[in-house]
Amino acid sequence: MGALFLVATNGFALLIPWLLKLAVESVQSPGQAGRSPAWYGGAIIVAALLHGIIRIFSRTTLLHNARRIEYRIRQDLYERLLGLDLAYFNAERTGDLISRFANDLTNVRMLVGFGVLNILNTAVIYSAALFLMWRISPLLTLLAIIPFPVMIMVVKRISAAMFRRSRRAQEELARLTSAVEENVSAAAVVKAYCREEAAIGSFATVSRRYMASNMRMAQLRGLMIPVMAATGALGTLIVLVIGGQKVVAGSLTLGDFVAFNGYLAMLIWPTIIMGWILNLIQRGAASMSRLNEVLLAEAGVSEPAEPLTPEKIEGGVELRDLSFSYEASPTPVLSSISLVIPPGSRLGIVGPVGCGKTTLVRLIARLYPVAGGTLLIDGIDVNRLPLRTLRDAIGFVPQESFLFSRSVAENIAFGREGASRGEIESASSLASLEGDVASFPQGYDTMVGERGITLSGGQKQRTAIARALVKDPAILILDDPLSAVDAATEEEILASLSGYYGQRTVIIVSHRLSALRGCDCIVYLEEGRIVEQGGHDGLLALDGRYAALHREQQLRREMEEI
Amino acid sequence: MHFQGIYADEIVGKAYDRRLLWRFAGYLRPYLWLVGVVLCILPLTTAAKLAQPWLIKQAIDNHIVTGDLAGLPAIAAYFLLLILGESLLSFLEVWLLQYMGQRVMQDIRLELFSHVQRLSASFFDRTPSGSLVTRLTSDVEVLGEMFAAGIITVVGDFLLLAGIVGVMLWMNLQLSLVTFTVLPLLFWITFTFRRRMRGAFRQVRARLANLNTFISESISGVAVVQLFNRQRQEMEEFTRLNGSYRDANMPVITWDAALYAAVETLSSVAVGLLIWYGSGEILAGSLTFGALVAFIQYIEKFFAPIRDLSAKYSVMQGAMAALERLFNLLDCNEVLAEGGGERQIPPGPPLSRGEELPFIRFHDVWFAYNNDDYVLKGFGLEIRRGETIALVGESGGGKTTVTRLLSRLYDVSRGGIELDGSDLKTMPLQGLRRRIGIVLQDPYLFTGTVEENICLGDESVRPRVRGAAALVGAERFIEKLPAGYGEEVRERGSNFSVGERQLISFARAVAFDPEILVLDEATASVDSESERLIQEGLKGLMAGRTTLVVAHRLSTIRDADRIVVIHRGEKVEEGSHDELMAWGGVYYRLHQLQFREAGSGPGQSGR
Ligand SMILES: Nc1ncnc2c1ncn2[C@@H]1O[C@H](COP(=O)(O)OP(=O)(O)OP(=O)(O)O)[C@@H](O)[C@H]1O
Ligand SMILES: Nc1ncnc2c1ncn2[C@@H]1O[C@H](COP(=O)(O)OP(=O)(O)OP(=O)(O)O)[C@@H](O)[C@H]1O
Ligand SMILES: [Mg+2]
Ligand SMILES: [Mg+2]
Repeated sequence: MGALFLVATNGFALLIPWLLKLAVESVQSPGQAGRSPAWYGGAIIVAALLHGIIRIFSRTTLLHNARRIEYRIRQDLYERLLGLDLAYFNAERTGDLISRFANDLTNVRMLVGFGVLNILNTAVIYSAALFLMWRISPLLTLLAIIPFPVMIMVVKRISAAMFRRSRRAQEELARLTSAVEENVSAAAVVKAYCREEAAIGSFATVSRRYMASNMRMAQLRGLMIPVMAATGALGTLIVLVIGGQKVVAGSLTLGDFVAFNGYLAMLIWPTIIMGWILNLIQRGAASMSRLNEVLLAEAGVSEPAEPLTPEKIEGGVELRDLSFSYEASPTPVLSSISLVIPPGSRLGIVGPVGCGKTTLVRLIARLYPVAGGTLLIDGIDVNRLPLRTLRDAIGFVPQESFLFSRSVAENIAFGREGASRGEIESASSLASLEGDVASFPQGYDTMVGERGITLSGGQKQRTAIARALVKDPAILILDDPLSAVDAATEEEILASLSGYYGQRTVIIVSHRLSALRGCDCIVYLEEGRIVEQGGHDGLLALDGRYAALHREQQLRREMEEI
Repeated sequence: MHFQGIYADEIVGKAYDRRLLWRFAGYLRPYLWLVGVVLCILPLTTAAKLAQPWLIKQAIDNHIVTGDLAGLPAIAAYFLLLILGESLLSFLEVWLLQYMGQRVMQDIRLELFSHVQRLSASFFDRTPSGSLVTRLTSDVEVLGEMFAAGIITVVGDFLLLAGIVGVMLWMNLQLSLVTFTVLPLLFWITFTFRRRMRGAFRQVRARLANLNTFISESISGVAVVQLFNRQRQEMEEFTRLNGSYRDANMPVITWDAALYAAVETLSSVAVGLLIWYGSGEILAGSLTFGALVAFIQYIEKFFAPIRDLSAKYSVMQGAMAALERLFNLLDCNEVLAEGGGERQIPPGPPLSRGEELPFIRFHDVWFAYNNDDYVLKGFGLEIRRGETIALVGESGGGKTTVTRLLSRLYDVSRGGIELDGSDLKTMPLQGLRRRIGIVLQDPYLFTGTVEENICLGDESVRPRVRGAAALVGAERFIEKLPAGYGEEVRERGSNFSVGERQLISFARAVAFDPEILVLDEATASVDSESERLIQEGLKGLMAGRTTLVVAHRLSTIRDADRIVVIHRGEKVEEGSHDELMAWGGVYYRLHQLQFREAGSGPGQSGR
């Protein structure tokens, strides 16, 4: 369709200069040609009108197309991002990714829109004009385009530099975006510590570096346009001198000379535009290479090649010799962990700060790739379980409660699509959130702000609990779920949870032993290893780390009671 | 309370370009000399452009037609000179413009950023970070486009247009007039189209902001999306936003294409008219051949900038929409008034024991984050210098809010807070906040090193970094890191465990050595062993220092001089541990609950 319009536009683009030539010829030798010059004038006007109409369509079609391509790439980018694992997001900065979506994508769109449009236009005008010029005088045509190869060489040089500098500028822009993103998210810290001046200072540095990279880009941009303009004008000059001599010598009619000059004039603007296009191309290419980095990113966690899909997940979890280390650091965070969690049982995990508790439960949900050792769910290797099946079976309360800037109800219903109001309410009452929601002005429809910023710490945490509960999962994973709630609320939640647990497999991470009430088995982790494991009484009898922890928490009570 | 319209930045205003432009012109002031230089260059390049066709006419009429070749080399030399001059000047022009554009962008960016630093916490509660990011990057970028496209060269374009019109009129009045009959039509079309485009442009920007906000939130919450298998639903929402952005662009493109085509068509029509009329003139002998050629060239040169102008027009439209949004942000005045001016403090109740003035005094404080949803209702508290006060109470009761009011992240709605006998509002903000060191409930780490995260780039704090880390027990894990204090911290501290992050942010508060220490659940994610170490370490630190501790673990506050129980925004109990236990109220109940659990331990009340 678009191509058709383009062919039509091309036709007219050829027609008008052709008519112009005929007109000039008829002026030059009146009476010889069949038609009067005025007739040609009229024909040109008619052709121009038709050309205009078609031009609207061809331009609209092409540019609309560019928007559609942009849309597609954006869809692909987003889809790719949703499929990448946490390891990827840890390595990238949010601002950088945002910048790719916003700025790099724009550059690519410009390339496929205006870039392509102008390349086509330029090509058409060039071929039309050169064809007509050739018919008048091949020699003059060759002479007229002498400056072009020189120009192309210069431009080639500039282009390569342009690509590099463009990429650099885009990277600096991403850095700038990250700086803003971070500063804005950390507004509370910046204010509380009076770091405004320092923040402005470091922003100024980043901003200046971006400016400098843009300046270097600007030099090239500045160079390109005059080079192009000079090329066109030089051609005119050559034609004037050589062609003039030919006219005087009688080997070229005056009419042809004039027409020739006319065609050459037609080339001036497209040639100038070409400088701009080259700039677009280089910027677009640099940006596309940045987009490709995302589009071609390999997810460490991917769908299994030969999936095994069980009817129903019962919730048995087994770790065999599981080891893990984060890409960034060489030291293993988990080393050879073996553990059997039978379906329907409850496991408690305790251990000092940074011992790997969160890492362990993240692996069970396969948020990071499981590579060292084996992790079995109901006896099936987790790497062969479709991700959807696995995650549908797991309800997860992360240690940090991330909420979306939507309503409370939507945040809870995030746990299960189509959860009814009744289900949302019963989940939130299990999480002791009801009372709080009742005090909100719009109840469940209250918006919670970015990351839940307008809720209190405990309210956020309880919303995250409700979100996991509404899912009705076979395996419930709670990562320090009660760290931000008071004793009374904690007591309430634990009581209602013990009713909810039923046949589910439950894994709770906690620093307070109180939250581990009712666990069949407790694991004490230290530096990524299980150092103690067993039931509460067994561990007390062992008189090791767990017993010490218990004593410590006991001791406090006694000290209080004195 | 809570949120009102996430996308408050959808701009629906009148078309006040002139005011916007005028205000924008203010940013050019420091670069007036550059504007001057460019404005000097412009007539020169214009003249160079104008002279070229005229030289050709001379060559044809005086030399080629007459066969007098002697003068031709001279004309060629002039021509060459003109080309070289024009290239040089236009390089200079483009470069200067870009230089200026970059400087102006830099100035605006810095001004915006500094302005945003001054905005109050409530502004950040409401405004999605994605939209602020868009404002400071893409919107400013659009302004840069405006320079790159050359708004100032527009002046040059008009100069060129006027010049061409002048020369053409001078060369041949009648022929010019015939050619120019297309002009009124041209003006009319341009004017109508651009009016239509403006509204469409605004919609485009608003939808783009929504899209970007959504993307930035998705990136932050990707783990939650994956955990809950919500990829499909998020994708659907994204598709909707992405599609609506694409669709908003379509009419803009159509109008733009129509405008472009109209200009192009009219330029061909002008050529047609020229030939139609000019051929008669030549036949009649009243027009030379050279003049006709020059005319055709002039028309080419005449319509080139106009065609270009329509492209520039899109850029200008975008820039206007961006300017509007930038100025709106700059005009946003959600700033807490700086102290300095005296404010009448409502007299409080007479001091009970007639002793020294309280160091910190909350007097009948009412506070609502939004409208009338009071979160604190008549909260009162007096703290003497050096005291340790514990705030306890049900989650959502308002404890964090009390700490925020103390560091004046928000202003009280009614009542007042005094520090050292003067109202907070009368003090300079920075001075006040420097006296307070706060461990926020949600620890936040910046990208940078561990050390930078503790001292936040403050050189006077740097020497205390290690001491502070040791005091809170963060030293143990920091020293195990491959690069120790120089270890790189990723965005939001994602490469540290939550407990580690909390310890680092605790160390930060300690390192700043504040007069008043505020600990908001500062050890909530830390194991008991570390907690005990911190408490021992803090004992020395807290001596003589006023401390406000918020804690759910009652064990962590046993050393407090006084315990304040907050329930639904009101103070319901106050006193020492023993007093409150004897009183048998909320505190007593909480205490019983908590220590029954701790005592019972996991095994006993299970299945
Ligand atoms: N930025 C905000 N905008 C609007 N409402 C808020 C905001 N921050 C807190 N609130 C509301 O104010 C009330 C008190 O919150 P606050 O954070 O002070 O509670 P808290 O006592 O610290 O609770 P927690 O123990 O759970 O941290 C809550 O109902 C909360 O939803
Ligand atoms: N994304 C990451 N990249 C690199 N290292 C990490 C990453 N996340 C965690 N670590 C490191 O791995 C170790 C274990 O972290 P993890 O979050 O599992 O601890 P945790 O036991 O949950 O601690 P906490 O009790 O503080 O929550 C820590 O030393 C931490 O610094
Ligand atoms: Mg953890
Ligand atoms: Mg709080």
